[in-house]
Amino acid sequence: MAEIRASFFIECEELLEALQDGLQTMLDGTHDGETVNTVFRAVHSIKGGAGAFGLDDLVSFAHSFETALDALRAGTLALGDAALKTFFQGADVLSDLVREARDGTAHDPAGSGPVLAALDMLIGAAAVDGRADDAMDFQPAMIALDLDLGDDATAAEHLYRIRFRPAAMLYASGNEPLHLLRALRELGPVRTRCIEDDLPPLDALDPEQACLAWDIELAAAAGEADIREVFEFVDGLCDLEIHEDESMPAATPPPDLTALTPPAAPEQTTGAGPAMSATPTTPRATVRVDLDRIDRLVNLVGEIVINQAMLSQSVEAAGLPPNSPVRSGLEEFLQLTRDIQDSVMMIRAQPVKSLFQRMSRIVREASAAIGKEVRLHTEGEATEIDKTVIERLADPLTHMIRNAVDHGLEQAEARSAAGKPREGDIFLSAFHRSGRVVIELRDDGAGIDRDKVFRKAVERGLIEAEARLSDGEIDNLLFLPGFSTADAISALSGRGVGMDVVRTAIQALGGRISIASERGQGTTFTISLPLTLAVLDGMVITVAGETLVVPLSAIHETLAVTQAELRAFGPATQLIALRERFVPLLDLGAELGYRTPLDDYAGSAVLVIGREDGSTAALAVDTIEDQRQVVIKGLQDSYGRVPGIAAATILGDGQIALILDPLDLISTATGRTRPAAALVPAMTGTAL
Amino acid sequence: MPLRDQIRIIVVDDMSTSRGLITQALDGFGVRQVETAPDGPSALAKIARWPVHLVISDMNMPGMNGLQLLHALRSGAATRGVGFLLITGRADRQIVDTGKRLGMNNFLAKPFQPADLRGAIEAVVGRL
Repeated sequence: MAEIRASFFIECEELLEALQDGLQTMLDGTHDGETVNTVFRAVHSIKGGAGAFGLDDLVSFAHSFETALDALRAGTLALGDAALKTFFQGADVLSDLVREARDGTAHDPAGSGPVLAALDMLIGAAAVDGRADDAMDFQPAMIALDLDLGDDATAAEHLYRIRFRPAAMLYASGNEPLHLLRALRELGPVRTRCIEDDLPPLDALDPEQACLAWDIELAAAAGEADIREVFEFVDGLCDLEIHEDESMPAATPPPDLTALTPPAAPEQTTGAGPAMSATPTTPRATVRVDLDRIDRLVNLVGEIVINQAMLSQSVEAAGLPPNSPVRSGLEEFLQLTRDIQDSVMMIRAQPVKSLFQRMSRIVREASAAIGKEVRLHTEGEATEIDKTVIERLADPLTHMIRNAVDHGLEQAEARSAAGKPREGDIFLSAFHRSGRVVIELRDDGAGIDRDKVFRKAVERGLIEAEARLSDGEIDNLLFLPGFSTADAISALSGRGVGMDVVRTAIQALGGRISIASERGQGTTFTISLPLTLAVLDGMVITVAGETLVVPLSAIHETLAVTQAELRAFGPATQLIALRERFVPLLDLGAELGYRTPLDDYAGSAVLVIGREDGSTAALAVDTIEDQRQVVIKGLQDSYGRVPGIAAATILGDGQIALILDPLDLISTATGRTRPAAALVPAMTGTAL
Repeated sequence: MPLRDQIRIIVVDDMSTSRGLITQALDGFGVRQVETAPDGPSALAKIARWPVHLVISDMNMPGMNGLQLLHALRSGAATRGVGFLLITGRADRQIVDTGKRLGMNNFLAKPFQPADLRGAIEAVVGRL
C-alpha cells in the first residue's frame, strides 16, 4: 500500500505539471475542448487517487476545482481573466495540498480558503449543481458466465501434449530442463508431470545417466513450430513428441478478436463526454528508477573512465608502435567510454520545465503582492540539466525572479510614461551553449540605475568616491555581499539576501553568472551551468611535489610571474601587478601546509582566481601540467570537510589528486592573515 | 472451483495508482487472473489476445474514455458479451444514462472501498 501511495504522489507531480501546461495553453489563448479536458482530467485524477487514500482536504478542494472546470467544459462557465487567474491559484493550492499530504504536514486553510471561495463563486456563477444525483435509476446487469471458460485452456486455440525426455548429453552439454519448461510456460498455461518410472533405486543410480522425462499439457495459441523452437538448442539431445489434442476445441471463438478495433466513429457515443481527439497524443514510454541506482551507475561509469585513463597510460608506457591494434582498440574504447558517460549523465538530466513552472508561480505571487502586472514568458523548457542542479537552482532563481519583479520592473504608471505597455514582461529561457546550459532571465524594466548603485557602493564603503568604474564594473557591484539598492526593504525581496548569495549558490554548482543592463530597456542575468556535477573540467597543477586539480571555472587566467611584477606588501604579503591592479598572491603550497613560504616567487606559475565579491586573488604553484576532465569523488563521507578542498579524483596514472576549492581556500587564507585582498576592490580603477 | 479462481478480469485506468489499488483489492478477493491496461486501445489489444469475462474501466482517460471503450467492446463480435464495470469520478446522470444505453453492466463512483468494488463485481458476475 505504501508503495502505491508513493507512486500516487509521483503521478500527482506529473498531473500537476499537465495541469500547469494546460492552464498556460489556455492563458496563451487556446482553449479548445481537448485542453480544457486535459486540465479537468488532471484535477479529476488527483481527486480520485486522493479519495482512495482518504486525503480529505485534497479531495474536497479538488472537488470544487473540478466542478468549476467541469462547468467550463460544459460551456456553462465562460473563461475570463478572473476565472483563469482563479484556476492558476487553484493549481498552486492543489500542488500545496499534494505536498502537504505527501509530507504529512497539516493543512493551513488560510491559504486555500480565498481560492476555494473564488472557485465556489465561479461554480455559483455557472449555476451548476456540483452534487451528484444519488438516486440514479440503474440496475446492474448480470452476465451469464460460461464457467468452462475458466479452464486453463480457455483462451487457447490448441491443446498440446508434449513428451520431453532429455538424453544424458543434454545435461552433459550444460542444458537445464527447467529453463525449457519455463520457456514453454511463456507460450501459455502448462500442466507438467514428471515421469520418474525409469528412475533406478539409489544404489543403482548412475549420476551420468538421464532418467527423467516430462509430460506437458500446453494450452497455447502458438503453433507446433513455436514449441519446437523452444527446444531448438537441445535438438538431438532429447526425445521430443508433440501431439495436438483435437478433442479439446478452444472455448473462446477467436476469429473476430484480432479484427477488433476501436470504433471508427466516436461520435456515436455523443453525450458520453468529448469526442476523441483527432490525433491522440501517445505519451513517451518511461521507466521510473530509484535515484540511488542511477547514482551507482554514474559512480561505476566514473570508475570506468578512471580505469580507462590508467590503461591508456600503461599502453603509453609500454611503448607500442603508433599503428598497433592495441592503440586503435583503446582509441575506440575511449570513444565508447565517453559515449557511455554522456548517456549515463543524460539519465540524471531532467528538463528545466518543472523549475520554470515553479517560477511562474513565484511571478504570480510576487506581482500580486506588490500590485504590478507581470507576465512571465518561458522558452526552452525542454532543455535538460542534472537533477541536482535543477533542485539547487530553485532558490537562487526564485530570488532573482522576485528581484526582477520588485526592482527590475517599473510601476505601471512609470511604464506608461515611458511609452511601454503597463504589463511588465519577464523572459526566462534555457538553452545549450558550448557544452553548458545557459539560463537567461531578462526583464523589460528600467535597467540598472548606475548612479544610484555607485552612490550606494560608496555609502557602504565598498568603493571609493573617486573611483572610476566602467558600466560593467558598476553592474557587478550588485554581486557584492550585503549590497541592496532597495530604498525601503520591501516585504518581497529585500530580506537581507543579496545577489552575492545568488552568485555563491551558482558558483557552488560550478556555474557562472553575469549581468547586462541597458538604461530604459531592462536587465539580463545570464547563468551558465555545467551539464553535470559528476565530472569537472579541471587544471592539473603541481605544488611542493603534490598534484592537485583546480576547477577551470574558477580560474580567470594563468601566467608566469616575473620579478618585475612582484611587490612586497608588509613582511608576509606579496602582491602581483596585473594590468594596473594589485592582486594578492597566495602560496598554494604554504596555504595547504606542504611547505613554508618561499622567499621568491619569480618564475612560479600563477593562477588568477575570481572571487565572489568581484575581486581577484592569485595562487602561486610550481607547474601547470594539463587541462582535463576529472571524475569527482566525494571526500566528506570519509574525511569530513577540509577547508580549501572540495573533493578528490583519481588521475590516469592511478594517483589520487585533491580537487581544490580555490574560493574557500582564499577566503580562509585572507581571513586569517591580512586584509590585503579586501583592499583590492577599493583600489580598483585608481591610477597606479 | 469457486468463481474467483476462474474469472478473468482486465483493469483499465490511465493512473497506475488506480490500477494498483484495484488490482490489490481483486487480489484480496482471491481473484488471480487479472491484467491491466493504461488506456482503451491497449485494453482492446490485450483482450484480443487474452479474452476476459469482465472489464473494469475508468471513465476519464485520455484518448478513449470508458464509455468509448464500452462501445468498442460491444461492437466486436468476440467481446460483445463481456461484462463491463465503469468506475466514475461521480455518479453523473448523463454518464450513467449513456452507459446504460451502450450496455454497461454496472458502475461504481469514486471513492470506494474494496467491499463496494466486490459488491459491484458480484452484481455482474455472481458470487466470487
